[in-house]
Amino acid sequence: MAAKSMTLLWGSGSCPCWRAMIALEEKNLQGYNHKLLSFDKMEHKSQQVLDINPRGQLPSFKHGDNIVNDSYAICFYLESQFQNQGNRLIPDAAEERALMYQRMFEGQSFYEKLNNVIYYDLFVPEEERHASALSRNKEALKAELGLWEAHLQKSPGSFLAGSSFSLADVVVFPTMAYLFRFGLSEGRYPKLGEYYALLKDRPSIKASWPPHWLENPKGHEALKDF
Amino acid sequence: MWWVGAGYKTRNVDPSALTPPSFLLLNSRPQLLLVISVTMAKDMTLLWASGSPPCWGVQIALEEKNLQGYNQKLLSVAKGEQKSKEVLEINPRGQLPAFKHGKIILNESYAACLYLENQFKSQGTQLIPEGAAEVGLMYQLIFEAQPLAQKIGEVLYYNWKVPEGERHDSAVQRNKEALKEEMKIWEGHLQGCGDFLVGKSFSLADVIIFPVFAYFIRNGGSEERYPNVAAYYKKLRDRPSIKKTWPPTWIDGPGMGTLKDI
Repeated sequence: MAAKSMTLLWGSGSCPCWRAMIALEEKNLQGYNHKLLSFDKMEHKSQQVLDINPRGQLPSFKHGDNIVNDSYAICFYLESQFQNQGNRLIPDAAEERALMYQRMFEGQSFYEKLNNVIYYDLFVPEEERHASALSRNKEALKAELGLWEAHLQKSPGSFLAGSSFSLADVVVFPTMAYLFRFGLSEGRYPKLGEYYALLKDRPSIKASWPPHWLENPKGHEALKDF
Repeated sequence: MWWVGAGYKTRNVDPSALTPPSFLLLNSRPQLLLVISVTMAKDMTLLWASGSPPCWGVQIALEEKNLQGYNQKLLSVAKGEQKSKEVLEINPRGQLPAFKHGKIILNESYAACLYLENQFKSQGTQLIPEGAAEVGLMYQLIFEAQPLAQKIGEVLYYNWKVPEGERHDSAVQRNKEALKEEMKIWEGHLQGCGDFLVGKSFSLADVIIFPVFAYFIRNGGSEERYPNVAAYYKKLRDRPSIKKTWPPTWIDGPGMGTLKDI
């Protein structure tokens, strides 16, 4: 069985890891070998990771001899190799497919802007931090949230590319989940809230929900005032 | 991700440069397919900047898929034209490339390239290989290329991106080290590589990544320190789709040597 020849090394709460896990679930590839590693204990730099991914990053993924470590690459690879099993994740219609691609890649900008706010202190050494920079990053994230609220208002369906769940939702949902984990107000962003509520109980998403979020349901407050 | 192009006069391709198709003269399938391609390309518009790797990738893809004849406009990032109304109407983010095909809008270069290959699979060069190993490698490389492009930008555009009061030598140094490490990784990836990044044929990996290497070298990147990268660059720079779309602002002379110490 294909899943038995797959191995995923992952960390809890990592959006890229979560994307890969949602994709594996959607393609009915449950049963893949996996190992949960700790970023805090620097396990992403351990030999078992470096053997698959010399960059020492998670996710690290192998299917037989094929190594695919980037989360978007994993998603495209799985959909191309297992197109006819599980859910179809790339729409057939040209317009929907194009919108899917567009949202997937805008999703990278979205993820980056979120990280520039919630992980500012992690990315920037203490002596280089400036309130002006963090403030600018917050404004950029606010503008980005406005764009996504508008995207969802205009979408022909409830999902990012239209009326079916697609790779756009696979890669962007984890970022959306982070917003609410970090205290974003559903009142102020109703379409984002609706999208989050619609998807959080989807089987593939529920099955791959970050374990430490289940252990600690109370999140953070960095985005509470947005 | 934004890219600076030198100030340049805008140029339009004159669509009437192509003889209007006459169905009475068509007596073969290749001619019919050419007419269909040209017709499809006429429904396409690309707004682009010279020297921008994301823009260049889309142009290479259009050539490879035999979609010559698309409408295009060269804009100047130095003059801020990416924030002009005509761009914002297609791309509210005010970034280039901005690409339209009929009602379809694709403003992210990877999105446009993937769309073009999937929509026009059966014409031009096949840009996504067969076989799990090659498909996996292709996707892995195109996404690994993103940190490469990002790190080049962090070095080249530090002063443009970071306000004066927030700049630090320690950050400049760190960005240079990060780019050096990244280039070493790519030098390793290209060890023993054939003419193309994936297997024996030109693929989306080359479409997307060649412009990034060319950009590195153009901005002073050392061919001595990165001989595998240089060899790959030299092998592909005369490929028709690449030669035809070579950044017009690069023909006027050498670039700045900003990356010569990397």
